[in-house]
Amino acid sequence: MSEKVQEKKSAKELNKILTGEYLQDARTAHEHGKYIAYTTAVSPVELFVAHDIIPIYPENHAVACLTKRMGAKLSQVMENRGYTSHLCAYARSDLGYRVTGESPMGGIPDPDFNLACNAQCFTLTKWFEVLSRAYNVPIFVFDTPQWIRDPEARKEIVKYCVQQLKELVAALEELTGKKYDYDRLREVIKYSRDASLLYRKFLDMAAYKPSPISIFDALIHMAITVYLRGTPQCVDYYQTLCDEVQAKADQGIGVVENEQFRLYWENLPIWFKFRDHFNLLKSYGANILSSLYIHAWSYEFDCDKDPLETLAENYVSVFSNVTLEERAEMALDLFQRYSMNGSLMFVNRSCKAVSFAVYTLKDVITEKTGYPALIFESDMGDPRFYSETQIKTRIEAYLETLQGRAAQVA
Amino acid sequence: MGTEALQRLVEIANDPYGRLADLRKRKKVIGSTLADVPEELIYAAGLHPFLILGTNEPISHSAALLPDNSCSLARSNLELVVGYEGDFFDGFVFSQVCDTTQHLSDIWKRRFPDRYFENFLAPRQVDRPSARDWYAQECRRLRKELEKYAGREISDEDLWQSFRLYNENRSLLRTLYNIKQEVPALMTNRTFFDVVKATFFMDREEHNRLLQEVVDWAQGEKGRYEDQDGYFKLIVGGIVVEPPNIYDLIDEARGNIVGDNLCTASRYIYHDVDVDGDPAEALADRHLRKPHFSPINEDVKRIYTDLLDLYREKGAETIFYVHIKYCESQDYDLPDIKKRMREEGIPLLELETEYQTTHIAHAQMKTRLQAFCESVLGRT
Ligand code: SF4
Ligand code: SF4
Repeated sequence: MSEKVQEKKSAKELNKILTGEYLQDARTAHEHGKYIAYTTAVSPVELFVAHDIIPIYPENHAVACLTKRMGAKLSQVMENRGYTSHLCAYARSDLGYRVTGESPMGGIPDPDFNLACNAQCFTLTKWFEVLSRAYNVPIFVFDTPQWIRDPEARKEIVKYCVQQLKELVAALEELTGKKYDYDRLREVIKYSRDASLLYRKFLDMAAYKPSPISIFDALIHMAITVYLRGTPQCVDYYQTLCDEVQAKADQGIGVVENEQFRLYWENLPIWFKFRDHFNLLKSYGANILSSLYIHAWSYEFDCDKDPLETLAENYVSVFSNVTLEERAEMALDLFQRYSMNGSLMFVNRSCKAVSFAVYTLKDVITEKTGYPALIFESDMGDPRFYSETQIKTRIEAYLETLQGRAAQVA
Repeated sequence: MGTEALQRLVEIANDPYGRLADLRKRKKVIGSTLADVPEELIYAAGLHPFLILGTNEPISHSAALLPDNSCSLARSNLELVVGYEGDFFDGFVFSQVCDTTQHLSDIWKRRFPDRYFENFLAPRQVDRPSARDWYAQECRRLRKELEKYAGREISDEDLWQSFRLYNENRSLLRTLYNIKQEVPALMTNRTFFDVVKATFFMDREEHNRLLQEVVDWAQGEKGRYEDQDGYFKLIVGGIVVEPPNIYDLIDEARGNIVGDNLCTASRYIYHDVDVDGDPAEALADRHLRKPHFSPINEDVKRIYTDLLDLYREKGAETIFYVHIKYCESQDYDLPDIKKRMREEGIPLLELETEYQTTHIAHAQMKTRLQAFCESVLGRT
């Protein structure tokens, strides 16, 4: 092997290194004259990256807590302080971490600024308001009205969003005392565009039969684009990942042997059950290929446009902010492109923003695809709302129904 | 109790949806959801606006459409429209203030594909100049959409007239609110807030006429009840007070509500629309003057500073915070509101409620309220 090949890191290794470096930068931000901004996973983070502000995502930190099964414990701390157990588990565990300092990754630095973009959900605004009061730092709500289908209304929505992004730039200038550099922003958006395209390419590899990826791979690999988009490292990372997955696809290697069922997943994952679900499904020759959730970061930035406009257009139109009708079309598009033949529709107590439409969405999807869907309620992060036997039995029964149908067709 | 006019208003407040079916024979009836839809525009289009406020009847029809951890305001609104099969409305303008309302509008629309339906995308921040521009822009869009639906132009003159009518209504309600505060023995809280509630459903001209009679009557009578003895002053915080028999409990305890930031009271009746300049901007200016509303972002301390200001300005003894179960917005605010009030030494009573409150829950609330009045306010 040549030295060069030996140096080439795998995506998995890169993931670890990049995450480590990012956290290190964040923890020493103030020493290097940089600032920390808390932000929501779907937000125009490019504006921070171009202005030497390190974005920190309390949601990502919360995922780490939930995956390590700390959800119930951290939540209870907050329940004792008067918060209810039906709030988003991210918020509950984050606020619990603020009090106890308990974290699976040594914590995250405190904010100098909070940005909440409500295209994703409205909960985040309220959660970040709590943080703004606690740390006495400004909050900026990037208000993205629902992306209704009327083209005239959309033009006006984009204008309102652009106007707000200008207000955001002014707020950041005030925070740092530095003039905003739009050339740098353009460059950052270019990196974001490239990374997003590669990320989408990676997700689209689910179209291969058998699929070389499952949603569980996507959930691991999406973290980098969430917190490092806008950087060249992020682009390299997804290039490496795409190359690796492409090689598997070329060799016909699937994540599930004898892949029979290619499933759609609605909603966020149940973080603390992620592996169990994968293994259960695998034993039936089933694989979950995709969800709208993981596609929330496959943006299409247009670098020929005004930078604020392309940011506004991309962030306002995320799946959680479109009408139910359009969201169903987006899901059906994935269904078709990846030749899926079933869906698990999770109604997540934590996430009203994504869940409240799921009952209606299920009707539309079963009607349009002709495949049955399983709908079930639970919580993405709080085991107290997860009934192991009940959910397992229902998933098994559903897979058996799919098997029965497949046998009939055959 | 009072005049015939007052009785009539109270009657309507207690059976509002039945009345709408009658009104529908004369005019097209367009509902809107809480909060902040500029009804003045709907009225100016020759349509009858009303505000849908849920039902206290049990949830059955909508149970399968929204999970049970959605707030009872949303669930019971859905229950009403689905349960009544849409008998009382021709269309809806939806205001999206939170995740729940955003989805509700989609579910609703799918359920009644033939009805008129519009979103009113009010800004969910009122912190920056963009909020004013956007509110005005949404008013312009709504005006155009209503014109299309109603098949007629809405002239500026139509709008001024509508603004004047609504301003008059708000002004009369404010006058009555002041009298009620001054002379609590003249009118119970329940009666006053019923009068306000009636306005959400009635023809505004008719409401103004009845209301004027009530105000005249109250002005004439108030001298007979100068004595405020035995009442304690309180501020009510929250979004809505439901079921309305919460007001009865406050009345029984001889509480006098002297201020609030409710969507169904002060946020609705305070501040007028200027009757000159650009109509959309005039509506936006009124919007920005309203009291704080939990889901709408602005200075993060306003969740309690508004209440503190009211408490001090009005010389109240306590604050009752009406918390709709599963309202996320309030869920996030409440611990900080309570903490701040504790620091200030201000007694606060949280009343958690649902539209579908059972007798048992009501009895428990009554006990809590009485215990609070006795032990904290020292009332026997
Ligand atoms: S899980 Fe849902 S409610 Fe929680 S932060 Fe994410 S989008 Fe918002
Ligand atoms: S703001 Fe609260 S009460 Fe109003 S619809 Fe939303 S969740 Fe329900």
